[in-house]
Amino acid sequence: MRGAMSALAESEGRSSPAWRFPQPYGWRSGATAALVAAVLLFTGHRVELDRALVMTGDAVAAAAGSGRPSQVAAGFSTVARQLFPLQLDERTDIDRIENFDSRRLPPFAHVETTTVRSRELNPNTLLLEDRFDRKAVLVQPFGYAFKVGQKLLETLEIALWGTMIAIVFGLPLALLSAQNLRFGRMAYYASRAVVGLCRAVPELISALFLVLAYGFGPIAGVLALAIHSVGFLGKFYAEDIENADPKPQEALIAIGAGRLKVFRHAILPQVMPQYIAYTLYILDRNVRMATVIGLVGAGGIGQELKGRYDMYNYGHVGTILVAIFLLVLILDQLASHLRRAVI
Amino acid sequence: MSVIFDTVEKRYPDGTVALNQVSFEVPDGQFCVILGPSGAGKSTLLRCVNGLATPSRGRVIVNGVEIGAKSLPRLRPTIGMIHQGFNLVARSTVAANVIAGALPSTSTLSALVGVYPRRFQQKACTLVGDVGLPEQFLRRRVRELSGGQQQRVGVARAFMLDPAFVLADEPVASLDPQTSVDILALIAREARARGSTVLCSLHQIELARAFADRIIAMRAGRVVFDGAPGALLPTVVGRLYGPETAWAGRAEMRGALKCAEQ
Ligand SMILES: Nc1ncnc2c1ncn2[C@@H]1O[C@H](COP(=O)(O)OP(=O)(O)OP(=O)(O)O)[C@@H](O)[C@H]1O
Ligand SMILES: [Mg+2]
Repeated sequence: MRGAMSALAESEGRSSPAWRFPQPYGWRSGATAALVAAVLLFTGHRVELDRALVMTGDAVAAAAGSGRPSQVAAGFSTVARQLFPLQLDERTDIDRIENFDSRRLPPFAHVETTTVRSRELNPNTLLLEDRFDRKAVLVQPFGYAFKVGQKLLETLEIALWGTMIAIVFGLPLALLSAQNLRFGRMAYYASRAVVGLCRAVPELISALFLVLAYGFGPIAGVLALAIHSVGFLGKFYAEDIENADPKPQEALIAIGAGRLKVFRHAILPQVMPQYIAYTLYILDRNVRMATVIGLVGAGGIGQELKGRYDMYNYGHVGTILVAIFLLVLILDQLASHLRRAVI
Repeated sequence: MSVIFDTVEKRYPDGTVALNQVSFEVPDGQFCVILGPSGAGKSTLLRCVNGLATPSRGRVIVNGVEIGAKSLPRLRPTIGMIHQGFNLVARSTVAANVIAGALPSTSTLSALVGVYPRRFQQKACTLVGDVGLPEQFLRRRVRELSGGQQQRVGVARAFMLDPAFVLADEPVASLDPQTSVDILALIAREARARGSTVLCSLHQIELARAFADRIIAMRAGRVVFDGAPGALLPTVVGRLYGPETAWAGRAEMRGALKCAEQ
């Protein structure tokens, strides 16, 4: 049996044991791996990853009860202590409210009197003395939570309009820069340049300057997001136009339909699922970015966050952070549902 | 509408000569079949009529007007085309695909909005019925249709603007024999109803004989036969397809043709 097998192998002239099976890794891959490892070690040390590792280890040990002091653990616990309890109600000194009318309070609100201690130099005795003032404050339960909700809504609106404007400008730019639509060399280079430039400007930086031009508030946010998103959508849309199946297009070109008609009826139906996916992705991204660019004053929840942070109102900051976290979580779910529904 | 090919030569950039000294005239209303093996230049020839291909030499004259950049915008809407690969938008509905055949006569604004004039909507319905598809197919996406059904959609689209000239590039290449006969009969019927001239490329000799008023046979870019179907003798066919393809074979195709005649 065995003899027959080897005879068969020999007679067919295959399976030579002297052949070398090509190996997936050679000295080249070894050298590359060594080089990559060296670069990673060097840069890792430069960004202090080793220190981070040690500090994190200490913090974990401290949390587990090692008793040794840990800078990181202390830092985190300070942050946690300051952020909580979350600030949900809105408190306003009644002295600061113009024309305060105690018989006409806002809904659900009540007035609290608190005692505030302050130290003062008594000019007669030249001693520091405690002074107790009674102060009336208007308390609106969940008043601050409601305000955060409003700011979140504003953030969503900023993201939505940034995306809308990006679609309106991105689509024509994509048409002009898609080579198969042949709008000409000039249009191609000009639109590519505009789209590339838009993509190259980070939102946070353009928002910084837009705030100078338009002032604090949502306008700067909307424009900053729109500019950057035009850069993305213009590029993505154009790529899909170029990759669309040319056969249906040819059928319409053959009977003399113009470029716009060909795009609308032979290309757009093909690329629509992709366009919706891109646009949803950009919208999702813009919601997250809209919270960030508020930090430089471009409206929305980020602006509120920055203001509270600068005033050391960490309870307020905590509320805002939890709200942002919830919003992003909900939107993520919504976006994936939408995506599944349309594709 | 008549078409004249005047010593047309087509040389592709890579040096392939797809058409070599092609000259003929197709009079108004004729059903002319271009016959030839794969690579003979049939598609190139048809595409020279509506400017999808530009001759390297010679002229193509449609109704006395030479095809060129100036005349094409005016001529193209009068020339319908049925494609070998159907060239439909697979994701769009049958209705959208058929009515797109009216795009040249629809204003850009209503085309962009996607709402066509009423008369075109009516016409699309009529045509979908004429090509033998039921009403509920209007809402069906083309990708859910069989090949034969898709080509019916392609035929309906080609006749949206009542073209005086119809180019059919291997309209039945990927269809079974019976469906091929049905589709060709459909094209012939719709064309006759409008008095349209038809230039139809095929590679099935039996089908060419059955439907053509006239057959132009090509091989390697040259016209090797031009005449009535009856004059297409076995010797010519032998020359056209090489010695191995003769009369016989394709028995199933002839069976299908008999059915169609009855
Ligand atoms: N765009 C092109 N560039 C280069 N050569 C081409 C091009 N289109 C066609 N050809 C060549 O021209 C010749 C004729 O092609 P054509 O498509 O006209 O043949 P056909 O008769 O339609 O063939 P088939 O029956 O396979 O469709 C072929 O040799 C082909 O390779
Ligand atoms: Mg062909």
